[in-house]
Amino acid sequence: MTSPALLAVTDQMRRAVGDENVLSAHSERVVYECDGFVIEKNCPDVVVFPTSTEDVAAIVKICNEADVCFLPRGAGTSLAGGCLPVGGGVMIVLTRMNRILEINLRDRYAVVEPGVVNIWLTNALRGTGYHYAPDPSSQGACTIGGNVATNSGGPHTLKYGVTVNHTLGIEAVTADGTIVRFGGPTEDPAGLDLTGALVGSEGTLVIVTKIWVRLTKNPAGVRTMLGVFNSVDDATNAISEIIGAGIIPAALEMMDHGIIEALEAAFHFGFPLDAEAVLLIEVDGLEVGLDAERDQIVELCQRSGAREVRQAKDAKERQLLWKCRKQAFGAVGRLSPSYCTQDGVVPRTKLPHILRRIAEIGKQHDVRIVNVFHAGDGNLHPIVLFDERDRAQIKRVLAASGQILEECIACGGSVTGEHGIGVEKIDFMPKLFDDNDLSAMGRMRDAFNPHNRLSPAKMLPTSGACGLEQTHPGRRAAL
Amino acid sequence: MTTVADTLPLDDTKAPPDQAALADVLADAYRSDTVVVPIGGGTSLNFGMPLERAAIGVSLGGLNRVVDYPARDMTITAEAGVPMATLAETLAAERQWLPIDVAQAETATLGGVVATAFSGPRRYGYGTMRDYVIGISAVDGRGTPFKAGGRVVKNVAGYDFCKLLTGSLGTLAVISQVTLKIKPRPTASAILLADLADLDTADKLLASIVDSAATPVAVELLAGPHWRDHPALGTLTAGATTRLAVGLEGTPPEVDWMARVLADEWRALGVTATRTIDAQAAATLWHDLAEFAQAGDAPLVLKASLLPSRTTEFVALVLDIDPEASVQAHAGNGIVVARFAKFDPGDVSQALIGRLQPAARLAGGHAVVLSTTMGGLTRQAIWGPVDEDVVWMQKVKAQFDPKGLLNPGRFPYAG
Repeated sequence: MTSPALLAVTDQMRRAVGDENVLSAHSERVVYECDGFVIEKNCPDVVVFPTSTEDVAAIVKICNEADVCFLPRGAGTSLAGGCLPVGGGVMIVLTRMNRILEINLRDRYAVVEPGVVNIWLTNALRGTGYHYAPDPSSQGACTIGGNVATNSGGPHTLKYGVTVNHTLGIEAVTADGTIVRFGGPTEDPAGLDLTGALVGSEGTLVIVTKIWVRLTKNPAGVRTMLGVFNSVDDATNAISEIIGAGIIPAALEMMDHGIIEALEAAFHFGFPLDAEAVLLIEVDGLEVGLDAERDQIVELCQRSGAREVRQAKDAKERQLLWKCRKQAFGAVGRLSPSYCTQDGVVPRTKLPHILRRIAEIGKQHDVRIVNVFHAGDGNLHPIVLFDERDRAQIKRVLAASGQILEECIACGGSVTGEHGIGVEKIDFMPKLFDDNDLSAMGRMRDAFNPHNRLSPAKMLPTSGACGLEQTHPGRRAAL
Repeated sequence: MTTVADTLPLDDTKAPPDQAALADVLADAYRSDTVVVPIGGGTSLNFGMPLERAAIGVSLGGLNRVVDYPARDMTITAEAGVPMATLAETLAAERQWLPIDVAQAETATLGGVVATAFSGPRRYGYGTMRDYVIGISAVDGRGTPFKAGGRVVKNVAGYDFCKLLTGSLGTLAVISQVTLKIKPRPTASAILLADLADLDTADKLLASIVDSAATPVAVELLAGPHWRDHPALGTLTAGATTRLAVGLEGTPPEVDWMARVLADEWRALGVTATRTIDAQAAATLWHDLAEFAQAGDAPLVLKASLLPSRTTEFVALVLDIDPEASVQAHAGNGIVVARFAKFDPGDVSQALIGRLQPAARLAGGHAVVLSTTMGGLTRQAIWGPVDEDVVWMQKVKAQFDPKGLLNPGRFPYAG
């Protein structure tokens, strides 16, 4: 944006939402130059914090009148660059719209603003017998608005489903500044399921300002186990055996040797440092069925070669196990100065194959890769370790990451299970989808965001960017 | 057998043998401005506004292959014309299932069930079709084939056209192939039945289920003649007006335990006459519960979507309008299906638009006509009043079907 235009827009923003809700100094804006995807960075021209739906509508209208692009942001925990302001423009940060507006237990729903942190809702529900099921590992920081944008998952989505399965309705501000509601607290709204289509649209179609979410009854009981394996193959085989036996655990997570090492250094849980893989397995439901299900899982693990299956002896130990799992990414800091993670998905029966391939790809590119992932869903999170000061290494990291995703596609899978396409995986869209598929997606965008001022250069390779000639952001910052 | 498709004013019906041929048929229709009515099993063609222009039918009957069934991955990919009963048999061989209740499953097709998003009692425990479609292929109004999603259970690459097309009633594109995630089949299934004196008692029990230690998969409130003297339910207890049938599924110990716990909880609320229906009787009842909405030729079948807590009050309104109406409420979800015994054209403005639709709206939702033997109902009568979101539905429609050739006028929006 040119300076006079920028000044005019900034001034209008201040008048619309108040000085205290606008950041314009570079030192303040630089915080917003990237999200959890740190390989590319770009500073927004203005950062605005609306406190109401009407604020969002006013901001969007100002942007449209000035022909400036804009994008929403929650807590910025996205791992795919969904909040990267490609081409600058106005960043609309929704963290000050953070009220839980209603909790209705009889009708099993809650209404929240987009800036409500995921865990706040479950905390607010403590003691009611209900919770909000989607539980991304970043749930202590990420917002429900952001979860809606990326259709977030989490370990327990294996049994309970991802964000869209728990979203009844949304209120949104469209790209032209109209406030509109899709769905609501009742099921089966008449007409198209636009709520379903807008969840996971990564902020490219509308800006969500209110969400009706389904609440889930707490399970009466839970059994949490840790299966210890001498080989990755044995562990993945056990996963296949458990699912094949018709058991759907609440969660089924795998961590390999590298992650075990980092977690043990960080949390001193007592993980076996000589194990090649551990499975964190949780079943929940009625007490009456749980011991039998646990015994069956223990037997299946042992038959697959587990050297030991431990059970969390109490709630405290279970919590510690989950803390270890959910903070695994943080613990990786003990292994290397930087890392990037991928989010590929394969059919569950392809897990042994893909994990062998990941190890080979790591060797081939001379990079270290560790794994912690949602094994029950086939949703991988290979973590590639590197030092960002080493440019040659970064090239190898990107090459290895790309090859892993290609391999996921070859297995009949996808390049993202829960993190989103963002800017990071935009090159893979033409590998997953043909021209007709991408055109259909382009038409969806045209229906909601015809001028492409909202979140340009995201998700679709054809999505352009206002004020940018380049239609693809490339890897500028990294290379 | 005469199907609804035979009664539509269709000039011709094409039956493409495969997905490529389907795209050709739709591309021809686009070039010649021909209106198209997609036809699966033809069991729900009377849902929505009637056809308003001359049209051709496009039967999906030739697209009847199960494409891929990797049972251990718990997914299945099948063409749109596969009958639901065939799909169920295929899955049953691996002790798996799609836990969506379907009426006329021998005839209804996968594509049709996705397009209507109809579901039944088990939605309380297992969700609806939108929760199971993970990949979809379709042909848009220009005759261009496209797909979205994939064959893995967790996938956020690209816009979710699985959700967009589920329930789109053939107005955006003709669905040609679907990938579903599926579930292991529970080993035990039973229904706990209580005959209740009145709707107030029903409301108390429904509220208690929200806090119950049990986790039922269906919560069905049943009233009216259809349920009074029923082959699986038996005869309604003297003095009772309403029946509550709660579906329980899982392992045999889980089902037994839930039946005991619920009976105890209900006894504490003063309801002692409970009975567990299992084995063949339960299977018969599940079947009837799935068929109810589409069985018979009632003058009007209405479906209301409400806040669950407002279910009994809406049922009371239905019975006030027609004491001989038969009602099935998926009460845990706030869905009420009312089959009226008597409903005259004069009742449309008085009872439907004047009382039932506003009551549904006050209860947080809306009411739509599932089927009617009366002709000439307006769009508002069929779909209820529309909101501002319809504008955005029309914008999407214009992108996928720019000439308005796919099931035009059938949906809540014009065109």
